[in-house]
Amino acid sequence: MILSIFFHWFFVCLTAPFFLGVIGRVKAFASGKVGPPLLQPYFDLGKLFRKRSIYSRNMTWVFRLAPAVTFAAMLAVSLLVPFGALKAPVQFEGDILLIVGVLALSRFFMIAAAMDTGFSMEGMGASREAFFACLSEVALFMNFITLALLAHSLSLSRMLGADSPVSWNLLGPALLLVVASFFIVFLAENCRIPIDDPDTHLELTMIHEVMLLEHGGVDLAYMFYAAAVKFFIFAAILVPIILPVQTEYLCVRMMSFLGGMLGLSVLVGIVESSMARIRLDRVRNLLLISFALAFFGLIVALWRG
Amino acid sequence: MTTWIDASCILIVFFALSILATSRIVGMIQIFVLQSFVLSLMPLFLHANAISAHDLLLSFGTMLLKAALVPFVLFWAIRHISMRSEVKPLIGLGSSIVCGALLIAGAFWVSLSLRLPGRPETDLGLPCSLATVLLGFMIMVTRTRAVTQVIGYLVIENGIFLFAVSLFDAMPTLIELGILLDIFVAVFIMAIVLNHINEEFEQNSDIASQSKMGETF
Amino acid sequence: MILSLLILTPFLCAVSVLLPVRRMFRVWMLCAAAVAHNAVVVSFWFRLPPAEWNGYLVLDPLGLIVLSIVSFLFLFVSVFGIGYFEHEQRLNRTFMTCLLLLLSTMTLVTVSYHMGLLWVAVETTTLFSAPLISFHRSRGSLEATWKYLLVCSVGIALALMGTFFLAIAAHDVRTLLLPSLLSAAPLLSVNWLKLSVIFLLVGYGCKMGLAPMHSWKPEAYGQATGMAVVLMAGGLTQCAFLAILRVSQICFKTGLSDFFSSILILTGVLSLVVPAIFILAEKNVKRSFSYSSIEHMGILALGLGLGGVGIFGALFHMINNALAKVVMFLTAGSIAQKYGSSRVDDVRGLIKTYPVTGLFLIVALLAGTGMFPFATFHSELMVLNAAVISGHYVLSGVAVLCLAVMFIGVSRIVLEMVHGQPTEPLLAKKENPFMNVAIAAAAVALVGLGLWMPQPLERVLREAAALLGA
Repeated sequence: MILSIFFHWFFVCLTAPFFLGVIGRVKAFASGKVGPPLLQPYFDLGKLFRKRSIYSRNMTWVFRLAPAVTFAAMLAVSLLVPFGALKAPVQFEGDILLIVGVLALSRFFMIAAAMDTGFSMEGMGASREAFFACLSEVALFMNFITLALLAHSLSLSRMLGADSPVSWNLLGPALLLVVASFFIVFLAENCRIPIDDPDTHLELTMIHEVMLLEHGGVDLAYMFYAAAVKFFIFAAILVPIILPVQTEYLCVRMMSFLGGMLGLSVLVGIVESSMARIRLDRVRNLLLISFALAFFGLIVALWRG
Repeated sequence: MTTWIDASCILIVFFALSILATSRIVGMIQIFVLQSFVLSLMPLFLHANAISAHDLLLSFGTMLLKAALVPFVLFWAIRHISMRSEVKPLIGLGSSIVCGALLIAGAFWVSLSLRLPGRPETDLGLPCSLATVLLGFMIMVTRTRAVTQVIGYLVIENGIFLFAVSLFDAMPTLIELGILLDIFVAVFIMAIVLNHINEEFEQNSDIASQSKMGETF
Repeated sequence: MILSLLILTPFLCAVSVLLPVRRMFRVWMLCAAAVAHNAVVVSFWFRLPPAEWNGYLVLDPLGLIVLSIVSFLFLFVSVFGIGYFEHEQRLNRTFMTCLLLLLSTMTLVTVSYHMGLLWVAVETTTLFSAPLISFHRSRGSLEATWKYLLVCSVGIALALMGTFFLAIAAHDVRTLLLPSLLSAAPLLSVNWLKLSVIFLLVGYGCKMGLAPMHSWKPEAYGQATGMAVVLMAGGLTQCAFLAILRVSQICFKTGLSDFFSSILILTGVLSLVVPAIFILAEKNVKRSFSYSSIEHMGILALGLGLGGVGIFGALFHMINNALAKVVMFLTAGSIAQKYGSSRVDDVRGLIKTYPVTGLFLIVALLAGTGMFPFATFHSELMVLNAAVISGHYVLSGVAVLCLAVMFIGVSRIVLEMVHGQPTEPLLAKKENPFMNVAIAAAAVALVGLGLWMPQPLERVLREAAALLGA
């Protein structure tokens, strides 16, 4: 048990930043550049971990606590998610509620830390993050409900695992909608284009990044790491829905999982390089569409149920 | 094949929802083209085992008229009408989307109490077509521009067509083509009327009335 | 063969007037088509033609009544048109083409015996009548055209949905040919049929201009030229009513008559009450006549809904309504041409300036509101009679009240126009014999029908009513 938990963490921490590197590489390739090496996120993290954090006098313990809580929350969530052949070390009926709750906790601390800085830009980013989170969480919940209905279980492992009854032949239409809706949520939660641009450094247009402006050194490294793990977790939920490989061979399962993750990262890279960021007031509509799709998926699931 | 049929049904509703959520007229027409294209493939999916000349004709006719000629006429109309490309909804896009989701739920709820005779290929045909019709009505009622009203009408027609195609094949080919042709002519005449309306405004050259007409027409 | 020819001939004429020919040639072409059409239709009164196209085209007594109405309307309109286009300098190519195409498609409506074909035909009539409204190309007429197109298109879309529902109800019959549907009536699934009836009623009711769906009528009738309005008010709406009659035939055979009647009575009463409210504020003679037209549609729906003698009354009223519309809207059209307006402020003292037209306007008032000795009086009385016989006392009281209000509302405008202080006509023109002959002929026919019902007409009306279960 303990061993599997540590192995799970080891696996997540080792592989998560790699996929951010893949996205960066795809974007660079699409714009005709060589781009950074695939392992660039590891180098960045290594650099940041060697640096010291700086705090202003106005900041309280909330700001200091936030990076640790955020990273810890992500690690906690990762325990509930199966990664291909690796079964989730912790699983019980209703763990999807815990997942959403812990994700919300990390978001709460990020927002609180941003407010704690007293910097107006950070407050603006925090308010945007909170607003969009309201919408994306509803859509996320809707998707989870649909999946729960399809899998007849409230445990994420039952919904995604190899023994899950979720398959395209039987439940195609509802799954199609869930995938579409979840993909939008996935982009929104991970602050990717077209919802948010992780590379921009213009405070007025940023949503997520602007909250990290005051973080530095180890704190920033934790935040950055947490974002990578979050991306990994969301992708790890999405990939098994798209590719429900049901086979006895652990090796095949793992390969298909990693291949799916890689494919999804490439897809995100393509989306990022082919689309422009949409206007802030349209983000709401996009998230509402995601909600509507999830709702539609739920209806179809009930209809077929 | 059932997966493909189901997916097409879902896609058609999804496109209707996207039209409702789109803020640009050109975008609406483009999504309508996609919707019509998926719709025109439906007869082939439904009779994938034995595709008859009737299916081919129907599929090709739908594709030609709805995915090519009708959008062409609409594009022609908006090119000739000096209007801004933004849709003017009576209720905001966000509320439209939520209402659209509720309408979809309503369509499924109504379909619960309707029992289809025989064994249709898919049980999604009825609720999805009703949902598309309702969304078309929603587009028509909540958008004030004339072109968007035409698009709403076309979405309604697509919904009705989905219903017809997915549920039975009792209609003779000639009647089906007559229906298609009628819809095309309807759009054509609407476009011409729109054009006349536009000419009328330009002659009047009264700026105030022109901008007002742009709103209501 | 003869039915197909009857549909094709006006179509070919329409193609011929599309060519760049002289203006008056088009008018004469219309006359020739109307006369030929009329001659053939009159011959049908002696012997019904055989079915064609595997039973898709059949002329039954119901169809014969509407076909004759359409044919005679075109005859009146084309005679009127000779006079009208002597004064009208506007290019009439689209107008005449659409007019002839309308004749062709309305003929198709009356002979369609397949519910799908019927839908196609009714939709086509909508499309070809729309350009008629925007003949003047003014801002108001374009708005009216747009409204008409949109409301009717949506209505017709609903009717298409209803037709598809009907096809599902008739899943075991596997065809929408009327005789097969009627003979296999017990096989139809009742729930789907009910749904289909509602959709068809709303859809074709839109086209007919029944009360909740009537909003296009005042605009369209107020803006179109008199000739076009006559064809729409007398022909198109009654073609839509024919579609409703076909639905009624199916309902009668499947025992849904009560369900069907209750909806019809409801819309019928609404169509009586709503225009009676709106008429009181009206200032335009064409628009006030259009409210009267909604009222007449209400009487038709009411008669059909009440059953028994009401059905006979409704069928008879179709003929009378058409003739009354000829008198009303051709007179209004001739006034509009002379004064360039049909508002009561611009047109007054008609009896002094144009004595004949003024007289016609009085006749139009009496014919349109159902006064003795015009035949509209008899048919309205039959419908009221049916209401009393079936025990709908309140309903008949409301109907009489609405008809009275309508009479007051229309006569208020008409009498002021005829007798008020004369105003100067905008475009001074003389009375035209062709225009007057057309109006007078219709008025005489209406009085004639009011005093004496010809034997063949009564026989056909009885046969038609029997089809509807009277």
